[in-house]
Amino acid sequence: MSLAGLGRPSLIAALAFALAALGLCLAGALTRRRSLAIAGTRAVTAMAAFTGLAAAALLSAFAAHDFSVDYVAGHSSESLSGPYLVSAFWSGMEGSLLLWALMLTVFSAIALHRARRTSPRLVAWAGVVLAGVAAFFLALVLVPASPFKTLSPVPADGSGLNTFLQSPGMLLHPPLLYTGFVGFSIPFAFAMAALFTGRLDDSWFTSTRRWTLFAWSALSVGIVLGGAWAYTELGWGGYWAWDPVENASFLPWLTATAFLHSVVIQEKRRMLKVWNVTLILLTYGLAIFGTFLTRSGILSSIHTFSEGPIGKWFLPFLGLLLIGGLATIALRMDTLKSENRFDSLLSRESAFLVNNVLFVAAAFTVLWGTIYPIIAEMATGVRLSVGPPFFNSVFIPIAVAIILMTGIGPLISWRRMSKGALWRMIRMPLGAGAAVAIALGISGVRSVGALLAFALCAFTVAAIGAEFARGSRMYRTRERMSVTRALARTVSRNRRRYGGYVVHLGVVLIVIGIAGAAFRTERQEVLDPGQTMNVGEYTLTYEGRTSGTTSEKQINTATIQVTRGGSHVTTLRPQRNFHFAQDQAQSEVAIRTTPLEDLYVVVTSFDQDGAAAVRAFVNPLVWWIWLGAVVMLAGITVVLSGATPVAVTAPARPPAREPAVALR
Amino acid sequence: MTSVRRRAALALASGVISCLVMTSAAYAAPEDVANSIAAEIMSPFCPGVTLENCPSDRAVALRARIESWAADGWDEERILTALEDQYGESIRALPSPSGSGLGAWLAPIGALAGGLVVAALLARRWTRARPARSVATVEIPPETRTRLNDELDALRGRP
Repeated sequence: MSLAGLGRPSLIAALAFALAALGLCLAGALTRRRSLAIAGTRAVTAMAAFTGLAAAALLSAFAAHDFSVDYVAGHSSESLSGPYLVSAFWSGMEGSLLLWALMLTVFSAIALHRARRTSPRLVAWAGVVLAGVAAFFLALVLVPASPFKTLSPVPADGSGLNTFLQSPGMLLHPPLLYTGFVGFSIPFAFAMAALFTGRLDDSWFTSTRRWTLFAWSALSVGIVLGGAWAYTELGWGGYWAWDPVENASFLPWLTATAFLHSVVIQEKRRMLKVWNVTLILLTYGLAIFGTFLTRSGILSSIHTFSEGPIGKWFLPFLGLLLIGGLATIALRMDTLKSENRFDSLLSRESAFLVNNVLFVAAAFTVLWGTIYPIIAEMATGVRLSVGPPFFNSVFIPIAVAIILMTGIGPLISWRRMSKGALWRMIRMPLGAGAAVAIALGISGVRSVGALLAFALCAFTVAAIGAEFARGSRMYRTRERMSVTRALARTVSRNRRRYGGYVVHLGVVLIVIGIAGAAFRTERQEVLDPGQTMNVGEYTLTYEGRTSGTTSEKQINTATIQVTRGGSHVTTLRPQRNFHFAQDQAQSEVAIRTTPLEDLYVVVTSFDQDGAAAVRAFVNPLVWWIWLGAVVMLAGITVVLSGATPVAVTAPARPPAREPAVALR
Repeated sequence: MTSVRRRAALALASGVISCLVMTSAAYAAPEDVANSIAAEIMSPFCPGVTLENCPSDRAVALRARIESWAADGWDEERILTALEDQYGESIRALPSPSGSGLGAWLAPIGALAGGLVVAALLARRWTRARPARSVATVEIPPETRTRLNDELDALRGRP
């Protein structure tokens, strides 16, 4: 049974509660009346409940194939079933915005509830920010992008879900990206609250540390899953194309990664306070900007939702967010002064500073490349393209420097370090990097970029390994533990630090996988049955086509025997299918994956006489990208399993006047 | 660092550099030329996607045409110019480092260089020696001293 009729009223109620929460939290924050702030946070919970009801209403409409709802008719069909009925929810602009609103309201309710025992005034201001942002998104899904618009007459069947979106990856990739984007709302709101209250000690980021890590982790996994989806579904043999929407997800990841590093300096040395609030503002601004890019139709991309009126809504909101945030930071500049200084240029602090410059420069580079075609067209009237070769040219050198810093950073001690001590720490990893470069050079690797990348990866892995070895040495010598137990004890005693190193290791594995692209081979042939083609060391023999029909599609399967050096390796069966509801042809890729290389085969078309246009790739080391993501996830789990550090709070500014019921 | 270590480091560095510079331009087959160009141009048939990544049949046909040009002995620049004449400047995925494309290159380089300079200046400022703070040089007026002693006593629980 469809509950679609409940959708709009629920959204109206949610918006009403959002505005109520905004007013109550604002009144509570200004008058310092705790009861008002508590009422405001309860209104946030009600807002989340009504948004949940609206989401359930849309989901029920999909489940019941209620094609009287325009959005359901446009993104599903009678033949669509199972989990894809769920992914159809966020397959279009309206549904994805409702998912945004749902996550935002639920995260807000949880964050405010969990923070209720900290500073109520901080919570009240955070409530103001979160309720304000939620009101914006709820207004969006009520007015310009409502998923509950109805159709008359009701069509007998829907247009169906885009065939590219009928993939397991699409069940997880968009929600994870949204979790990342929306998750940054919480640290952003608490940072703004800290600025409003003048309580600019560590409490805002220690109380939201888990949210920041959670959002960053979700975004990281979401980005990798997006790459995996592109690799297995789009059929062009790659996983990252510097598409504007891919860039939109990558931008906040870069600034959030910078924040996760620079916040350590604030914790340890009470420095970079302005920088940290600016970074979290930038991260959230970029998350909103990415959402704007995806939905405004301003840029052409295969991901971009159709051009709609909501771009006009996003720009003022984004402007308010950034200008308001920067103005607030400027007003609080006096209280954001660093409490310490660097003791030496050769110190962990300096390494973090360089790391931050690199991450922010990388983010700027990606942002600039993404928007430059618009800027150039506005300035000169000439339409330019800025594609993958540009991003590879400017981003890769910065990424190389970041990997270098990933290796060097942990080796440098806090406060100061002598050059001799640094040399003693660095010589082993340096030797490992050089040995790998020489070994690969001797074995015939001629790509300068790949040699440099593999050498740096070896350097970083050796540096991380040395950190684990040093950390566990004490347990091995003093307590006579086995290597495994000593390592486990080392990690469990400082989960944040060693979990971070595991995350770094995951990043290095991903870089190894990416560097493998330097050795990619591609061949394209039209083959008649019985003909062969060569790609890399493989010989592909096309045996012929088989066809079948289901209620959804016509399936055309090519059978390709793969041999290497005369020995049979495997049989691959790529498909070229025709989906009836969408009136769309789509290729299904066949991949043989090994840690060394992927053999990737796609049929781009079949002739009437059965000849197949075959594209085949040998993609070395791609497997390591997915392994790297798993290792990163393991590292994040270790970090999150550790205790949350307690903020050592500086005295808060005294209240301007004594309130009737004072907020602490 | 001792001279032996320095020599070892130099030898290691020269080894790495030798490996890095041992690049050789292999003969490029027409299909390799077509693949290389397909990665450098945007597809006229798939918005926002390079020809390499465009799954359209027309993209496949364009790649075949590029391959035939390469087989006829055209070099990459001649092929790119021919494509630009047909589809306009926006077919190049790499903006030209002159004219309207110059800004695309200058801003990231400027941002990185500017960021590093600012970071270096800040780090230098933050590492400058702090003025020596000597208690002995601070003159405390007698009434302040009395008040401090009183408050310290109060903190210690003395009457």
